[in-house]
Amino acid sequence: MAKDREKMVTTDPDLIRMSKKHKRPGFGQYILFFFLLLYTLFCFMPFLLVVTSAFSKESSIVHNGFRYIPEEWSLDGMSSVLKYGKQLVRSYAVTIFVTVAGTFIGLFVMSMFAYSISRKDFRLRRFLNVFLIIPMLFHGGQLSAYIIFTGVYHLKDNLLILILPICVSTMNVIILRTYIANSIPNELFEAAKIDGAGEYRVFFQITLPLMKPSLAAVGFMMATGYWNDWQNALLYIDSASKKPLQLLLIQIQKTIEFLMNSKDVPASVLEAMGGNLPANAATMATVLVVVGPILIAYPFFQKYFIKGLTVGSVKG
Amino acid sequence: MKGFLKNTWKHRAYVVLALPAFLIMLLFAYVPMFGLIIAFKRFNYVDGIFKSPWNFPENFKLLVTSSKTFLNITKNTLMYYLIFTLIGTTLNIILAISIDQFVFKKAGRVMQTIMIIPIFISYAAVQFIVYAFLSSDTGLLNTEILPFFGVDKPIKFYTNAGYWPYILSVVNFWHGVGYGSVLYMSVLAGIDQELYEAAKIDGANKWQQIWNITIPMLIPMITVMLLLSVGGIMRSDTGLFYTVTRNNGLLHPTTQTIDAFVLNALLNNPNYGFTGATTFYQSVVGLVMMLVANGVVRKIAPENALF
Repeated sequence: MAKDREKMVTTDPDLIRMSKKHKRPGFGQYILFFFLLLYTLFCFMPFLLVVTSAFSKESSIVHNGFRYIPEEWSLDGMSSVLKYGKQLVRSYAVTIFVTVAGTFIGLFVMSMFAYSISRKDFRLRRFLNVFLIIPMLFHGGQLSAYIIFTGVYHLKDNLLILILPICVSTMNVIILRTYIANSIPNELFEAAKIDGAGEYRVFFQITLPLMKPSLAAVGFMMATGYWNDWQNALLYIDSASKKPLQLLLIQIQKTIEFLMNSKDVPASVLEAMGGNLPANAATMATVLVVVGPILIAYPFFQKYFIKGLTVGSVKG
Repeated sequence: MKGFLKNTWKHRAYVVLALPAFLIMLLFAYVPMFGLIIAFKRFNYVDGIFKSPWNFPENFKLLVTSSKTFLNITKNTLMYYLIFTLIGTTLNIILAISIDQFVFKKAGRVMQTIMIIPIFISYAAVQFIVYAFLSSDTGLLNTEILPFFGVDKPIKFYTNAGYWPYILSVVNFWHGVGYGSVLYMSVLAGIDQELYEAAKIDGANKWQQIWNITIPMLIPMITVMLLLSVGGIMRSDTGLFYTVTRNNGLLHPTTQTIDAFVLNALLNNPNYGFTGATTFYQSVVGLVMMLVANGVVRKIAPENALF
């Protein structure tokens, strides 16, 4: 990638001279800088609004609207997130469990599958390859999936339904398969076999450790998918103890909508909801708490993640 | 055949390794495919999909009798697919080339890191950000930005369907363009620099270099990505069309796609006949489009075809 090119530049004397000429960037580069900066701000500013609103005083938002510099700062939003208390902790636990379990199960079964279809002397691989590709071309649709998962497998309100349907994906298997085929020399497998290692040993002790970069990349993409999945939760999860974070967000919105659409909600109901009435600042604080962890983890994984996408870009 | 069985037995370890993923795909991808026969049944929960009585072609007649909904969700699905794929891909490529051409590499890397961030914010969270900008009484756009440009009356975005194709496009590009460009950047990084040097010696300027070297090098990747996307032509992200629009009935004329319709139906006691026929049509059209597109690519540039 870009880094490699820099390395190349520094080792070749001719190129150093040439790149020195480049070091005085033209006017065009500054225009490009301006536009890239503009786009970067476009990407970042909406997120910044979440942060500032989360720390705004509720009355400032109600009177002046959402602002980057609110009239009054306040921690009320954050403290009312804590009022969700148990449910928030519970939802965090559910989301973390689903994300970790899903990512590990997915990586495990997909890398085994990828390894077995990457073995050229395995004749069943042709069938398995076709079996792998078909779901990319044809799918059963949401309705039949819903009816089968609930009616036949009885997975309604079961955490497995948040994990299993999205843990094996064709694209990810292809990325892993391509990595094995291109980055792990075949001689290594041969040598291990000659040294008397069994098939399982070759996979678990040689292949799997060598697959680390691709596993990190695919794993991070999967973890993001699990962390951000709301639709399966909305469709299948009923009980409060199994609600993941994203479902909490969806329900906050539904509650707001309910309150807005029914102007004559009895005062007693409003009172019963007490401080939990989903106010603007509190909602934004919840968004921040839900989105935060992924954004903090992302820069650490970026290196792998870009490398993994590059690897996967080789057509399978 | 005998050799095949022998080979399989010899490599039984590979069979065992492939088995877990095979079973998961079988249960969660293949069985629902067979579930599509619901489109030909009068479904009831007691009998389940496979034992419910046949009802062909009544369900498909419903598509004609409810043609207003049916045509609307089809139109929206295709419209957004076209906007997102054509403009989205173009933006991905422009951004990738811009970052690649940019000489301040460190600043470029930091900016790229920030540009990818939106993809990690789920649409369940994005809807609140969109609301913070568009709400008619507290939205930043209505309280600050539009008044600055001399628009005094707040625009009621959430009751006016006409704005939403633009809003959803902007949200979609904000969410995915930074991420989408990474793939193209990886191709650009692999281009041999000598090609550019040679072009420079021949007197080609930057634009000519981009047009005659960079773009042609990207064509295989663009073809593969477009081909992959064609399979999803009838699909759409419910995060965008159900959550960000808050499934607002007033906005349905321009925002409800097939997937958003089906999700909404699932959550509110579906008409199984109509919904089943719709999903069947969605899957079959998606498959046909994919086969056609792949066939066309195979004719023109066989090395870029998927299969």
